[in-house]
Amino acid sequence: MFIRLLVAALLVLSAVPAWAAMTIEIVGGASNRIPLAVLPFSVKPGNGVLPAPVVAVAEVVAADLGRSGYFRMVDSQDSASPPDPQSLSLPVWKGRGADAVLMGQVLPAEGGRLEVRFWLLDAVRQTQLAAMAFVSSPAGLRVVAHKIADLVHEALLGEPGSYSGRIAYILKRGGRYELQVADADSQNAVTITTSPEPLISPAWSPDGQRLAYVSFEDKKPVIYVQNLADGGRRAVAKFRGSNSAPAWSPDGRKLAVTLSKDETSQIYMLDLDSGAATRFTQGGALDTEPLFSPDGRWLFFTSNRGGTPQIYKASLDDGGIKRVTFEGAYNVSPALSPDGKTLAFIHRRETRFHVAVMDLASGQMQVLTDTVHDESPSFAPNGRQILYATLVNGRGVLATVSVDGKIRQRLSQSGDLREPTWGR
Amino acid sequence: MKYLLHFALVSLLLSGCADTPLKEASIEDRSVKTVPSQSDPAQGGSTQPGDASAVGTAGAPGAGVSSRALTEGAGKAPTSSGVETHGVVVQSPEAIPLTATGEKMAQADSAKGGAQAEHADALKFDPQQVLDPKDPKSPLAQRRLLFDYDSAAIRDEYRTLLEMHAQYLKNEKSARLILQGHADERGSREYNLALGQRRSESVYKALNLLGVPDAQMEAVSLGEEKPVSEGHDETSWAQNRRAELLYQGE
Repeated sequence: MFIRLLVAALLVLSAVPAWAAMTIEIVGGASNRIPLAVLPFSVKPGNGVLPAPVVAVAEVVAADLGRSGYFRMVDSQDSASPPDPQSLSLPVWKGRGADAVLMGQVLPAEGGRLEVRFWLLDAVRQTQLAAMAFVSSPAGLRVVAHKIADLVHEALLGEPGSYSGRIAYILKRGGRYELQVADADSQNAVTITTSPEPLISPAWSPDGQRLAYVSFEDKKPVIYVQNLADGGRRAVAKFRGSNSAPAWSPDGRKLAVTLSKDETSQIYMLDLDSGAATRFTQGGALDTEPLFSPDGRWLFFTSNRGGTPQIYKASLDDGGIKRVTFEGAYNVSPALSPDGKTLAFIHRRETRFHVAVMDLASGQMQVLTDTVHDESPSFAPNGRQILYATLVNGRGVLATVSVDGKIRQRLSQSGDLREPTWGR
Repeated sequence: MKYLLHFALVSLLLSGCADTPLKEASIEDRSVKTVPSQSDPAQGGSTQPGDASAVGTAGAPGAGVSSRALTEGAGKAPTSSGVETHGVVVQSPEAIPLTATGEKMAQADSAKGGAQAEHADALKFDPQQVLDPKDPKSPLAQRRLLFDYDSAAIRDEYRTLLEMHAQYLKNEKSARLILQGHADERGSREYNLALGQRRSESVYKALNLLGVPDAQMEAVSLGEEKPVSEGHDETSWAQNRRAELLYQGE
């Protein structure tokens, strides 16, 4: 009983933050959605008492997959998972229109932990597609649910899902700015830091343990790095002038940053151990928004050296610089897919700002959105979706779009959401 | 871009002073230049540093001018015609050393930049007001410069404003100025931060040329983060493309 109360209390507490009001709206979807039944997971009390809320695991999985645009959920709320997959009548589910069925159980495990088992079954061929077990603290059940969604996605579509990553973003409400981290479904939001002055440009460290960001609390932009585990933060770039646009090197030991300490905004390499900043770009043009390629061989950045802001890349081997974008007079905010093959950026068409992608091998560009105030694109860990910020009715919202432009989601809540970035 | 900026700065300086080829703008140069007829700014060096320091101390609360400055200035009094051409009527001998010591630039640039009381009088400002940027009635209370779209060029209309602030800063050696650049909301926040930086640097360079030392200023950017007008139209954007002058402690 005590555990039940405790867990219930934990769940309630974690529910208090901002996301209570967060809503998700889906626009579009894959033309061929896979019909999937997700059965509520059964709860095996064993010798202990399990908290009632654990049944939410299936709901979280179903919400993830349903929102993705790749699946159509077959109604299954009335049918709990049977004790084992052999007891499941697949023909019945096939009859209800499901191509696949997800079932699972939650059992007590050592030390007050819980074991979550799931089975994914092919209702058409009557075979098992995937099965796995996780052990987690009760508070970690949402994480487990997102991982299950990733695995189901991969088993059915052949490519990983990106439901278990985390996003960081800035929420502006009530005249305050909050840097928040949330699950990719925008739940479990935690405020990392808060300030009466603007916060921008959060950037995940490669290990997902730290966030770099720019704070204006000193009446000018200063770059901070903050540990998520203990909340400790320090100013890593507070040079004369402005300090902004932090981007982590793949090894997590350096930040590429934009400083104005010597000349107008230029890119520097900041060694996080020594604090030393080494100038990387030269010349009087504006250079900013640096970004390491995943293989660490290139630094992409935005520059107006050609007269208009465009995206360039500099070789970290020999320093050679190549222009990457050519179409239009305003291409900024580069983001790279995890495989380094696709560039996402903001492209201006007349007075509208859209998320666009470019296949770096062919140079082929495609505009993905019809929203007109898009900013800050970043890729999902699986490279299939792009998270960005845009304005709807004058208010900042977060949105995702699949790299083919077909599936879109929108996250909004009271207050302005902006500067999202997708972590692992 | 670089040329544009350069052009803007040069025109800013030249427009006020057709007579002397203004050059770099250290304080020393200026005092020399108050003597348009004979002035070769190059000679500025030897005696002028003295002027500068005199102003530095004297200028503090707009009080008096140090005797040394006065003396030196007196010698230059006759040349004050150079000043007058810019519409500054120098009324007392004291005024000249002030201009001389302080700020050639005041003279250089159509000059209302008078830092000192007499000079200010000539400009029809109440001396106390001129000298206190915290006084809302002082012309120094005006701290905002607007910019054209995608431009960091300082508009002509702000020349006087910058001159006055430069004058103040050169007299108040302890005063520190933070120049904040801003951009409108369109496009990337980080790119807009860089654009705002360019605007604050543009003002920085102008003040620098007017004789304000680096140690008294810092140019920073707040990008699009601090709009003065929240609307999403050109009227608001035009208000938000700006630079603001903040004295330390504000």
